[in-house]
Parts: sequence; C-alpha cells; structure tokens
Amino acid sequence: MSKILRVNMTDLTAKYEDVPEKYKNWGGRGLTSFITLEEVPPTCHPLGPNNKVTLAPGMVTGTPAPSSGRISVGGKSPLTGTIKETNAGTPFSQHLARLGIKAVVVEGQPKENGKFWLLKVDKEGAELLPADEYVGKGLYEVYPALFDRFGKKAAIMGIGVAGEMKMAMAGVCFNDIDGRPSRYSGRGGMGAVLGSKGLKFIVADDTGGPGVDIADKDLFDTGRKKLTEALRTHGVTKEGGGLNTYGTAVLINILNEAGGLPTRNFSSGEFEGASKISGEAIAEGVKQRGGAGTMGHPCHPGCIIQCSNIWPKPDGTEHVSVIEYESDWALGANCGIDDLDVIAELIWLCNDYGLDTIESGGTIAVAMEGGLAEFGDGQKAIELMHEIGKGTPLGRILGQGAAFTGKALGVVRVPGVKGQNMPAYAPRAIKGIGVTYATTPMGADHTAGYTIGPEIMSVGGKVDPLEVEGKAEISRNLQAATAFLDSTGYCLFTAFAIMDIPEGLEGMVETCNAVLGTKWTVDDVGEIGKEVLKRERAFNEAAGFTKADDRLPEFMYYEPLPPHNTVWDVPDEMLDQVWEL
Amino acid sequence: MIEIHLYGKLRRFTSSRAPTGDSIVRVPLEEGDTIADVLKRIGISLEEVGSNIFRNHKYSTLSRKVEEGDRLGVFPDDMQLLYKWYFQKEDDQG
Repeated sequence: MSKILRVNMTDLTAKYEDVPEKYKNWGGRGLTSFITLEEVPPTCHPLGPNNKVTLAPGMVTGTPAPSSGRISVGGKSPLTGTIKETNAGTPFSQHLARLGIKAVVVEGQPKENGKFWLLKVDKEGAELLPADEYVGKGLYEVYPALFDRFGKKAAIMGIGVAGEMKMAMAGVCFNDIDGRPSRYSGRGGMGAVLGSKGLKFIVADDTGGPGVDIADKDLFDTGRKKLTEALRTHGVTKEGGGLNTYGTAVLINILNEAGGLPTRNFSSGEFEGASKISGEAIAEGVKQRGGAGTMGHPCHPGCIIQCSNIWPKPDGTEHVSVIEYESDWALGANCGIDDLDVIAELIWLCNDYGLDTIESGGTIAVAMEGGLAEFGDGQKAIELMHEIGKGTPLGRILGQGAAFTGKALGVVRVPGVKGQNMPAYAPRAIKGIGVTYATTPMGADHTAGYTIGPEIMSVGGKVDPLEVEGKAEISRNLQAATAFLDSTGYCLFTAFAIMDIPEGLEGMVETCNAVLGTKWTVDDVGEIGKEVLKRERAFNEAAGFTKADDRLPEFMYYEPLPPHNTVWDVPDEMLDQVWEL
Repeated sequence: MIEIHLYGKLRRFTSSRAPTGDSIVRVPLEEGDTIADVLKRIGISLEEVGSNIFRNHKYSTLSRKVEEGDRLGVFPDDMQLLYKWYFQKEDDQG
C-alpha cells in the first residue's frame, strides 16, 4: 500500500501517512496540483513557511511500462506566482515509486537560516541528516560524493547553489541513468522553494522496497505491449526514428525552415547559424569526435525512445549531457550563439549551478538586449553565467529570470507570460503554441499543450501554424490531454505515437487501469485532464490572476517577426475561450 | 532560378554535404514546375522525401507550383518526426 511521506522542515521530521481516498487515483502532476491546491494558501509567499513542495512519481512509474520514469515537482512558483508543475525523466522517480511512495510533501521552514539538510529514504524509513558540507559546491562535484557515500544504486534529487541562493530560475536536479546531475524539473524556480526550506537533497534507494502494486497484471501486460508496439512503430519515437537518431534538436532545422525558431531574444524566427547547432550537427560531432560521445541515450531505465545524448569535447572526453532542443536553442539561437562547444559549456554550468536552461538562455538574451553583451558573444555569456553561480550582485539579478532582468535593464522586449520566459517556438509564427503560452496555468510553457505536434510535426491533426481559427479548441484539448499524460508518469514524447496510433492510447489507459484498479476508457482522458486544469486554474484565481494575465507580451502585438513578418493577432476573446471547459 | 535547401540524407544531392552547413541546390525553373518536378529533376526519389516540405518557410504540398526566386526546404522521410501526412499544407487549390 503506497504512502505519502511528509517532511516537516520546521521541526525536522519525516513521517509516513496513509494516502487519503481522494488522492488514490492520482499521480504525477494530477497529484502535485491537487495537494498544492488543498494545502498551500494561494496568496502565500513562494519562499515563505506556508508554501510546500510536492514530488510525485506518475501513476505507472516504477513498473515495466515503457518510457514512464517521470517525476512531477509542484508548489507555488517564485518565478510566476502561479501554481507550478515541472517534470523530469529520471531513475529517482522509479526509486520513490518502488519504495511505495506516492508523494513526498516538503513543508515548513527551519528557524535557523542558512542550514541545509539531506533526506535519506530507503526501505528502513526516512531521516533528515545535516548537509552543510555540500553547500556552496557545484553539483558535478557533489553528486559523485553522494553516490560514494550512499552507494551507486541510490538516486538523488538535489538543488545547486542557485537554489541555495533562492534564485527564481533555480531548478530541481535529478540524476540520469549514469548518475549525472543532468535531468531537471527546471521551470518555475522550484529549486528556490526547496532552498527556502533548507532541503538540499533527497537520496532514495529502493533496494528491498515493496515495488509498485499492480491490481491486474494481465491487463497491465496487454496495455504495456500495445503501447510499446506503438512507440516502436511510430516514425518519431521508434529506434532509428527522428528523436532517437538526432535527439530533440532535430527540431532546430525544422523550426528554422518554418520561420518559428526564436532568434536573438525573439527578434527573428530564422537563425543564420541554425545548421551549426542542429540535431544533425550534434549527431555528426558525436560521430566525428567519438570517445564519450553518444546519441540515443536514455534518461531513465525502461525508456525505449532514448532521445538524450552525450556531447564530447574535441578530444573525445565527455563535455555534457544533454544538449536537447530547448537548451540548445535557449543558450544558442536565442542568444545568437552558433557554437555547440559554447552551448555545451553553458548547459554544463546550468547543471552545475542548478539552473533551468530555458530561463537561463532567456535571461542572457534579455541581458544582451539590455547591453550587457553583444548577441553571439559566447565568452561573455559564459561570464554572465558565472556571475549567477557566484552570486555577485549582478548575478543575483540575472538569477531571478528574464522578466526581472528586463526590468532591471529597462528592456521592453521581454518574451514571457506570467513572468516565465517563452521556450523555443515563436508564437507569432506558430499561433497555437502562443495560445498555450498565454493560457496555461504554468506561465509560458510549451509542454503544457503541445500544439507543436499538429502544427509542425503533423502529428494527430490538421492545422496551419499561421492560421488563427480554431486554435482555442486545439490548445484546450491538448492542455487537457497533456495534464493527463503528466499525471501518468509517461514521457510527453509518447504523445506522438498515441495521438496517431489508437491502440497505443488504449494501451496507455489500460496500464493506468491495471495499476490503479480504475475502469477508465480513452474517452475519459480529456475529462481527467480537465479536472487537473480546473484545480490549477482555481489556485491561480485565488492567488489573484485574471484573464488579463492570459496575454502575450505587448511587443508581439505590434512588432512583426521575420521571415513571415506576422504579428500576434489571436483575439483576446479566443484566448479566454480556452477556459470554457 | 530557385534555391533548394536539403537536410539529412538528402544532402548527398548537393556538393556541400556537411551536416553543419547549408546544403543548397540551385535549379533553373521550367514552365509549370511543381515542387515534385524540381525534386525529381535533381534526382531525388519522392519516396525519400518526407512530409516536412517548406516553400518560403510555409508548409507546402509536393504539387505546389514554384515561382522564380522561391526558397524550398526539404527534409527526408527519416528526419521529420512523422510517419504520415496529416498536415494542412499550402497548395494551389487554396
């Protein structure tokens, strides 16, 4: 029987509780958002004693279901002031699930400022240990030390110095399949919330744990096989398919051809250096340099898509994992940088300091716009990243994200919604993603309703990216489907296969039913997702957000984006229609 | 003359094949040319061409007519993250 682990940082206790009936059929985002709405006062200060961080593996995480090792991290975001859910693929989620933990709720705040703790969780129970010896150090130094201390079989959640300094772009770090500090629940500054609570690490070891209960094993196997077959057949997700061969950065050239690759702080949709930082260039560099270079790397055991990579230095030694599309774009095209080795170094620094790569790239781009560096100046970008890591006065400003930096520097072109910088799809060229950026409860977030699927990749629908008509409905349906998917523990990229192959979606729902004992059909997916969205929306409304916050930044309404030279022209009423659930 | 930007394995139809650069073929236009016509003329089998085809940065069908000065971007079937075409492409029927 699974439990909730409640960690109180005020009195430094960790106790197991039974799972209340109302939470029983939830996991991942559905559960973190439910607990946040129930337990966190919406008007609380995100870094104060009343905010809470909830970590939850998905419904089927920890089972042999393919590509299902996601973990959700939720709470109130210091970057946006909204509810936040940010997820990552990592063995850590599987360890929690197999220890019978449905969620970890971190609450309270230590009376003594500047002290940090480590939560150790295994089959014997959970205890808080002092972690001060790890404070102020890079995660690439600290993770190996923790694995030496607690064993290679363990899995680690951590925050870096950015989280210690309570920066609004501090992410929550998880280890990858080989133990690197490289898989991030990056968005929204949840690392800062953990920092405000003095919780530096959670070390989980599932050795001897109870595993995940499966109510109906036959149904589980049936569903798992259907989904696996769909993932192994679909051109996007199969072995040797687009994601596996080139990584997610295959999108660089495609978005560039579509005129939707945001360049130099969203001033163009086309980057002249795109081919140098593309998925093809990464695959070629890995091949040429050899050594540690790897394509088709999984982020957690059991992933059959394997879209991650390891980028080698010119001498073949490891530089960083992973150069994925968003990081590649944020620290590359968006900053006018066309050098993969510079991008690799910037990603490494984000991983080491504990920063969200998307917000970091967005912030450096705004800083460049504000005159702190020239667009394309990679060395200066690296210096700015060090300012953040060292916590200099300038670094403390940059560390608060793009919107805060824009204010500090008097920059008008700040491409964010609700304080969160936009990811790698230009909304003036791809209207549907703009609707999602504007209306998701998360602040500008591409994963919240992946309209890029039907718009660019021609998955699951017929949509013209430059057309306005019909975008509210598409965005609403995709946001609901995504909210469901984020609750299951399955990777978002399974969406490509399940939107095109009906048996794949059936199989996915069957695995959820098999674990939870529910009787859902594929027709329930949308409604389950909408329940999640309604709770998230309710939190935001109680926190003071209105439909006036569901808008893109003003400059996008009057500044045409080359090469299409289109402005943001989706009517406000259409944005509001998204919430007619 | 039109300019065709090729990606992935289709780069072999150009003289500059480096995956880190631009692989471009310039083709003189003939009367009534469609995208399919010009691709076939430079030796590309349409079976190798996927569905991510762009004409002046807009999605286009293979049957779309091309005009002087156009820029095409063409991705192969193993690169465009799809296995069949669902997309509403720009075509000559409007």
